[in-house]
Amino acid sequence: MSSKNAHSSQNAESARSRQWSLSRRLTVFYVATTAVLLVLAAIYLYWSQVANLDREDNDFLVNKIQDCRRVIEEGSSDAQLLSNEVQIEPAASLIKYYVRLLDNRGQSLMETAGMAKLLPSESFPAPANADDADNAGIIRKGYHHRTWLMMSAKAPSIHQPEHSRTLQVALDVSEEAAMIEHYRWTLLAVVITGILFSGGAGFFVTRKGLAPLNEITHATQRITASQLHERIMADGWPVELASLARSFDGMLDRLEDSFNRLSQFSADLAHELRTPINNLRGEAGVALSQPRAPEEYRRTLESSLEEYARLSRLIDNLLFLARTDGSKIAITRAPCDVQKSIEGVREFYEALAEDRGVEVCCEGAGVVNADPVLFRQAVSNLLSNALNYTPRGGRVVIRADAHNDGPFEIRVSDSGCGISAEHLPRIFDRLYRVDLARSQYPNGAGLGLAIVKSIMALHGGSVVAQSEPGKGASFTLIFPPAPAGPSPS
Amino acid sequence: MRVLVIEDESKTAAYLKKGLSENGFAVDVCADGEDGLHQALTTESDLIILDVMLPKRDGWSVLAELRKSGKQTPVLFLTARDTVYDKVKGLELGADDYLVKPFDFAELLARVRTILRRGPGRQEDVMRVADLQLDLPRRKATRAGARLDLTAKEFALLELLARRRGEPLSRTLIAEQVWDVNFDSDFNVLEVAIRRLRSKVDEPFQTKLIHTVRGVGYVLEERSQ
Repeated sequence: MSSKNAHSSQNAESARSRQWSLSRRLTVFYVATTAVLLVLAAIYLYWSQVANLDREDNDFLVNKIQDCRRVIEEGSSDAQLLSNEVQIEPAASLIKYYVRLLDNRGQSLMETAGMAKLLPSESFPAPANADDADNAGIIRKGYHHRTWLMMSAKAPSIHQPEHSRTLQVALDVSEEAAMIEHYRWTLLAVVITGILFSGGAGFFVTRKGLAPLNEITHATQRITASQLHERIMADGWPVELASLARSFDGMLDRLEDSFNRLSQFSADLAHELRTPINNLRGEAGVALSQPRAPEEYRRTLESSLEEYARLSRLIDNLLFLARTDGSKIAITRAPCDVQKSIEGVREFYEALAEDRGVEVCCEGAGVVNADPVLFRQAVSNLLSNALNYTPRGGRVVIRADAHNDGPFEIRVSDSGCGISAEHLPRIFDRLYRVDLARSQYPNGAGLGLAIVKSIMALHGGSVVAQSEPGKGASFTLIFPPAPAGPSPS
Repeated sequence: MRVLVIEDESKTAAYLKKGLSENGFAVDVCADGEDGLHQALTTESDLIILDVMLPKRDGWSVLAELRKSGKQTPVLFLTARDTVYDKVKGLELGADDYLVKPFDFAELLARVRTILRRGPGRQEDVMRVADLQLDLPRRKATRAGARLDLTAKEFALLELLARRRGEPLSRTLIAEQVWDVNFDSDFNVLEVAIRRLRSKVDEPFQTKLIHTVRGVGYVLEERSQ
């Protein structure tokens, strides 16, 4: 349960981040990247600056210690020399530093003026050994509101060990510390300003960069149902958007096509309904216009029944198409003996074909996995269509072709007048009329081929029409190969 | 014969009552599912004509309750729905037949008669209509003693008409029974088939037996001129 909750909250989170606008997202990325870079740079600069200063100061102290040691080591009792190092030089130097000389017992022998008050000898660390030439023993310490770098070291005298001394040196680094402090704040200010600036710049750049996206949105908003012919055109857009524009235009093409077909269909449907309704109204009106013999009323009603039957068939077929459109029909597939099914359909049309003087032949055999009733209906509709357009003396061939592991094809070809290229793409449209002059379809409803198309779609197959005007037309039902599993044989 | 019609659409109910009464049935009408179920359980009917979409209690439920209480009255479903699923559901629940609106009254009548005729049906070997005689085991038809040269399908068509003689049969029903074509098809086929049958059965003779019932279909009967 809890894991489920965690999962759902994660989902909610990812959904929220998906809702972020592109500009917001890009700006956040900019700022984050800039912040990381600036902070890293600032840390590096600060660290190297501090390290540099430290090294200089330390070197200074170590040098001072070494200078004094040299004097003491040589056992020179020249007080002048020592005093020079301890008292005169520090006092004269621009750099503030103090030196103190202690004897064996820790008593101050000599020191820079003012040192006793500022830095008592106890405040220094324990002295480093003589051979410690480097900065061991250096400490940093705040004292009397100033920052000090302090060091003490032993200074042995080679010739007179009793003259060995301890040296204490202190350097005032307060100003440097203040400078470092100031440097720190400066860096911080730079980092913050940089981040703020990158936020603003990021926002601006994003806005600028995404401007074409807004334009394309405006372009798409222009297109309404009444202006489906408008296109946003792929040229003139950045490469990334050009493909979007292309796909969008492609979608519009399909949409416009469907839309046109739909309006055409509505118009055709209205026409299709008008004819029988007109007959019904007219006949009923005439029948009622004056008293008549019962026999006449009877004829009127019989005629109405015919019209009603036509309307019922139209409704049935339209409903069938409407349901297959949403694929709400579940078909029950079973292995069908193609030869038997085709032969059955041919037998049904035999009398009509003979009457029309058209020869119907069936060739080929096989087994197709299909809904038996729908399969026969598809063949029946094609055959009916072929018979309607084949003149006396013509020939209709129904041929079944099984391809090994490939699709199963059933081709119905006739020797009729054929279909011209302009009509070919539309003949599967509902109520589409090839011959506008024909007020009614020979078979009552122009839905036969549309139904064939729907049936094939339900089976995951397709129907293809080919024609050479004057030489006849052929319609091929293509059933996809049966999925692996129990063989239909 | 008593028929119970459970149908809420008043116009439909009215014409069903009228049409069935005129064809010799006693008709009771109920306008909703509750009433209908009550009536079906308390009175003896020979057939129930049941609409699926009903107020208070739908047709499925009426049928289910009826069968649950042990009533085996035959039921014919009428509905505006026509998906395969609905059909299967109706028949699974124990309906005897199923008719989709809009339907032909003649078609309904034919189906009603078929249901009522079910059971130990009379299986004649030889059928006679006037001077037409069908010998079913030998698939042989004669008229006035003369052999009629019919194809297998023509014989089947004539047999169907003869079996249901006097009853107008719709084109849909004929296509279904003779050719097993139970989908929408070209009705010109039937016109041609009937014309050919007529040319063999009726044309050479004085009395015509096959008649067109306009707007409905065809009937085989001897009509007094």
